[in-house]
Amino acid sequence: MTHKVKIPLLAKETAVSDNTDLLTALSKAGVAIKAVCAGQGTCGSCKVKIISGEHFSSPSPWITKEEKENGICLACQTAVLGNMDIEVPKDSRLENIQTAGDEIPADTISEFPQTGANDFSKLSPLAVKIHIKLPEPSLKDNIPDFERLTKELTRITGIEQFSINLNLLKNISKFIRKSEWDITATIARHNCAQEIIQIEAGNTVSESYGIALDIGTTTLVAYLVNLNTGKVTASKGTINQQMSYGEDVITRIMYAQQKDGLQKLQNTIIENVNGLINALLIENSISPHNIMALQASGNTTMTHLFLGINPDYIRKEPYIPAINFPPSVYACEQGIKINPRGIISFMPSVASYVGGDITAGVLACGMDNSSEISLLIDLGTNGEIALGNNDWLVSAACSAGPAFEGVGIKCGIRAIDGAIQEIEISKDKLSVKYKTINDKKPRGICGTGLIDIPAELLRKGIINRDGRFVTADVSPRLRKNSDDEMEFLIAAATETENKRDIVITESDISNIIRSKGAIFLGIVVLLQEVGLGFDSISKIYISGGFGTYLDVEKAVTIGLLPDLPRNKYSFIGNSSITGAKLCLISQEARNKAAQLAGKMTYIELSVNPKFMNEYTSTLFLPHTDLNLFPTIKL
Amino acid sequence: MEKVIEKAVSKISELAIGATSANGGTREKELKIGGQSAMPFLHFEGSMPNAPVVALEVWDTVPEEWPLIADEFKDIVNDPIKWAQKGKEWGADLISLRLESCHPDNKNNSAAYAADLVKKVLAATKLPLIVIGCGHPEKDQEILPAVAEAAKGEKILLGMATKDNYKTIVAAALASGHSIIAESPLDINLAKQLNILVSDMSMPLERIAMHHTTGGLGYGFEYCYSIMERCRLAGLAGDKIMATPIINMIADETWKTKEAKTPQDEQPNWGDLHKRAINWEIACAAGYLQSGADILVLAHPESIKQVKQTIGKLK
Repeated sequence: MTHKVKIPLLAKETAVSDNTDLLTALSKAGVAIKAVCAGQGTCGSCKVKIISGEHFSSPSPWITKEEKENGICLACQTAVLGNMDIEVPKDSRLENIQTAGDEIPADTISEFPQTGANDFSKLSPLAVKIHIKLPEPSLKDNIPDFERLTKELTRITGIEQFSINLNLLKNISKFIRKSEWDITATIARHNCAQEIIQIEAGNTVSESYGIALDIGTTTLVAYLVNLNTGKVTASKGTINQQMSYGEDVITRIMYAQQKDGLQKLQNTIIENVNGLINALLIENSISPHNIMALQASGNTTMTHLFLGINPDYIRKEPYIPAINFPPSVYACEQGIKINPRGIISFMPSVASYVGGDITAGVLACGMDNSSEISLLIDLGTNGEIALGNNDWLVSAACSAGPAFEGVGIKCGIRAIDGAIQEIEISKDKLSVKYKTINDKKPRGICGTGLIDIPAELLRKGIINRDGRFVTADVSPRLRKNSDDEMEFLIAAATETENKRDIVITESDISNIIRSKGAIFLGIVVLLQEVGLGFDSISKIYISGGFGTYLDVEKAVTIGLLPDLPRNKYSFIGNSSITGAKLCLISQEARNKAAQLAGKMTYIELSVNPKFMNEYTSTLFLPHTDLNLFPTIKL
Repeated sequence: MEKVIEKAVSKISELAIGATSANGGTREKELKIGGQSAMPFLHFEGSMPNAPVVALEVWDTVPEEWPLIADEFKDIVNDPIKWAQKGKEWGADLISLRLESCHPDNKNNSAAYAADLVKKVLAATKLPLIVIGCGHPEKDQEILPAVAEAAKGEKILLGMATKDNYKTIVAAALASGHSIIAESPLDINLAKQLNILVSDMSMPLERIAMHHTTGGLGYGFEYCYSIMERCRLAGLAGDKIMATPIINMIADETWKTKEAKTPQDEQPNWGDLHKRAINWEIACAAGYLQSGADILVLAHPESIKQVKQTIGKLK
């Protein structure tokens, strides 16, 4: 028996068999919905409203009595028993999020790395088009067509050997003659060889583009890059739709072990990337045919899932990935809709939990070029960090959790329009001024805000150093919510986009404290592993979409970042995409990335007893050892 | 061979319990603890101006969980006033009164009852006083402020202030001039965090004692021992926040254990129950003396006698 599930407002519908859960039904209907816990019923993010139809919903602590009366239920906990009409509230839908790429004009983006430590200015893109007029053969000049072509290419490029795919070779003779010996060959770096991947008639050199792609656990960002100039033409970001299968890499690896799980995850990311590229190309009126190369950068798990490689052993001790240096592949092999013979190349990873995104980050900030010791902190869910100089590099992941990405926080959202980034509480603690992204009506609190708010509450004496509210009467904006928990009102329902109060609760703050503690401790333990103190660090690079808007002073106030002179800190934005872009346009960068990934020592923090023993000391604002934060006076 | 002497950077803070008439109270003496500049009894490394003290644990209800004590002293333990008066006779330096009957699972006695009882105990004994709540975080927030008010001027030691209820208890102790016990579960960082929070409320560090919770002998003793030792070492090494005296609630962790309950006919190898139980309490106390305990709370008169003797020999 099948039932029809309609979502009239979104003009979508689908048919599912009896007793299918509504989350699966909506996904089948093409409605992207938040399901942080991958449908286990534990996150409460997939709320939908049932207009009509027979169904059964399991009770959930996430659904209030009032919501239940209004037909609100968790999609994943609801079985379809008849034809249904559904409404999907805006809050439950996955939407485009603001990324670093949207914020910065294209020409600014290409200024990275601003340190100038790495000079990859010599253009040698992953794929390059070369226009050639071949000398016609004669009885005296009787070398074959392919050798004729490669001889000419060698003369122009200095490259001695070229390979070619048999399929392209089959018709080469006819094609060259039809083109009257005036052709454009595309040469790409394909698995250590220079391969001729395409031959076109006439001169098409000006139509040569590539894509740099950051595959984040949460966000995808793509840059459209002109391969003739090395400049970024446009950029776009979207949410990683794999979020429907779990918020973090571990949940997704586990999902990949289910029947068809890996295939679903791979299909999702491929469609997701195709959608992103398509939008980028349409907006810039560029044909997919002219995209000859894609350079991807992602953490180890994301890379595995993109390629459809089973990542299961990343999760199990001793945490071994299938591969750190994935082979490059043709776009058509992956179903990526650029030129089918375009090459997709991947940033090499370091280890199971330190991926190509960190290799890209090190490449982008150039910390390996200086004898001074630098620290790179990627403020993402996996909390990856790298430390070192031109002699040595170590890296680690400290599993910070998704709090700074707004997940697991009552009013947390990702960095979309209307996300609160900064607040200022008046001296009498009566009013709150806030700043939102693009000055839109507030919709929730994003990562920057989640650092800013505890710092402000602490400075104004509304919370204690343990993250709890001082007393119930310290501010009239403090109150007890329906869960009998204390919360602080930031924006009242009358001011907000979704007509609901935006608050921060005591458990939100303790979530943030746990995340910031993990990152800070990761830094401390990594330093201890190499026998260094904070003083030995000359420069600190903060990366991530979140880091772009980070206020260092606030981050130090809550003990997320070490209390070092603020001028040692610099923001490098999304360094994963910056590194990917460098590799797209420079062979030197590609060589360097491989070298970096190979030489970086990975330190597994999860087996370090210090990491567990000292964790409690970080669960304080800023820290139990106040001597570590001498400039933070409260 | 050269003798290696470890010199402490700082001293443990000195805490005074009990106000004499000169200081506006009615106690016969002011008891000082702490003030050491070395690990326990290492007199060649530093000084130990105040020897550890022994308190007699007194409940305001019959301690059913301590069958041996309840039985041996059945004429005493049914009356907290009488029990407290035994303190002096048994050689205790001070009394530790536990308001067990106020626990909602017990008699749920009121704050007014607690205040009244404390007044009566103060009248019945001239020894300095420790008052411990019922251990229910919310209920203690009700009864301890009343106790603090009732004992105003007597400089009692009030406990337990935990991370869940310290604000009310510290405020009450501040208002009435008492000191407090900050209790956190077996973690050096949590202990420090609570001390910071308490001192952030302008409670002087000289008026805070720490309770890391006590592991009875055979019930996490060594874990607690090492936490206390680490804490004391940190205090001597210059961490002022950690340089507060330490209390151990040994009686409660001894008399409810199977070693203090199982008769000899059930476990012939364990020896005589009465002797064994007392030795259990003494051994536990003697151990904690070495890790930095400043107040040992005991129940049996024989234990008090033996432990006092041990301290006398070591000090």
